[in-house]
Amino acid sequence: MNAATDTTGRTTATSLAGASGSDLLVEARNLSVRFGKKAAVDDVSFTIPKGRVVGLLGHNGAGKTTLMKAMVGLTRPEGALHVLGLDPVKQRVQLLESACYIPDVATLPRWARVEELITMMSGLHPRFSADRARTLLRRTSVGLRDKVKSLSKGMVAQAHLSLIAAIDAKLMILDEPTLGLDVLSRKAFYEMLIDEWCDGERSVLISTHQIEEIENLLSDVLMLNEGKLVLNLSLEDLDRRFVALSHDSSVADQMAAAHPLLKYRTGPGPGGNASLFDGAPPEHVQALGQRVRPSLVDLFVALTRKPELNRTQF
Amino acid sequence: MHTWDQKQAIYQQLADILAAQLLDGEPAEGDAMPSVRALAGRYLLNPLTVNRALQALGDEGLLENHRGMGLYVVAGARERLRAAERQRFMNDEWPRLRERLRRLGIQANQLNWEEQA
Repeated sequence: MNAATDTTGRTTATSLAGASGSDLLVEARNLSVRFGKKAAVDDVSFTIPKGRVVGLLGHNGAGKTTLMKAMVGLTRPEGALHVLGLDPVKQRVQLLESACYIPDVATLPRWARVEELITMMSGLHPRFSADRARTLLRRTSVGLRDKVKSLSKGMVAQAHLSLIAAIDAKLMILDEPTLGLDVLSRKAFYEMLIDEWCDGERSVLISTHQIEEIENLLSDVLMLNEGKLVLNLSLEDLDRRFVALSHDSSVADQMAAAHPLLKYRTGPGPGGNASLFDGAPPEHVQALGQRVRPSLVDLFVALTRKPELNRTQF
Repeated sequence: MHTWDQKQAIYQQLADILAAQLLDGEPAEGDAMPSVRALAGRYLLNPLTVNRALQALGDEGLLENHRGMGLYVVAGARERLRAAERQRFMNDEWPRLRERLRRLGIQANQLNWEEQA
């Protein structure tokens, strides 16, 4: 994704407008969303090509929900934003034919039966397939005759995903889709998403706080900190760019002298220390430890810490 | 959820898991492998990672592509896997085990080769 950003960063506004035929589903350039004086999203540029699973990570209040809202035309941004080649605010109806969205505040009407929701969606959305929705629901324990109010939280989430994934769309945007679900429900949700929706052409953007769980599901990561994009990278490039060394506490001072982004613990005992570097540290430092895969959680901590925490953390 | 070792690439770990299942006959020789998406869903991995793991097993001659029908376990895959495992045991595990047996003074005839009743 980074490479795509580098090249499109130099393209003109006219080529952005004609992006519907390209492989880029989302193109954002110098995008900001302001509420009064405060920039909830602050000068953000990125692209999302097709066939990707993109994680949008950030603390509460980092701008994730605002950015997602801008992508479906629910809030007006400054700068250039094209989703499926369209302007989300001016061409919202057309956009929503091929982009689907579950907001963080999404609910299904409690009085409705699942089959009634299917009927409703059939009337509302031109690219919704009732057959597909029923097929997806058969994977779950949700019955067509069930009322929403009789379903557990995890079942509601699965019913919701079944309805949304039955839309023949190119882009799915999920804002905290598994918030408040237990571990099995979360797993079932992502299993269905990957197995039934991701086909190598469609892309999905997911915001979540459960980073460890979806880390290996992602192809790319966007990380927001106080409205600014602090990381925009494919997971493949992440492994190449960031170096984590697990090491013994006896060499901690030498590690610290090489200015790691973060020092953390990987396990008990003096051997359970690790240091995370942006770029490879000098060879004599590398020789002091054993290279391990940098985890997204550690990177998240390193890149989104509040400055005042830097002093007290260690 | 499955936890992955931080010391090894995830696709390699998945390839090892799938190889261990093949050794147990799951799926059997001549049968189809689960689809990339099914495996991605089961292990909660990006489909690209799953592809790399299957590619690695294909490179070892354990899987073959049946045109338009996906990946199948080749005939002789289990024997090939068993031979590779045996080789690995002899090269890596046995010297360490022998060293430990010697240190403990355990003779070959003291080892019980029959399964415990």
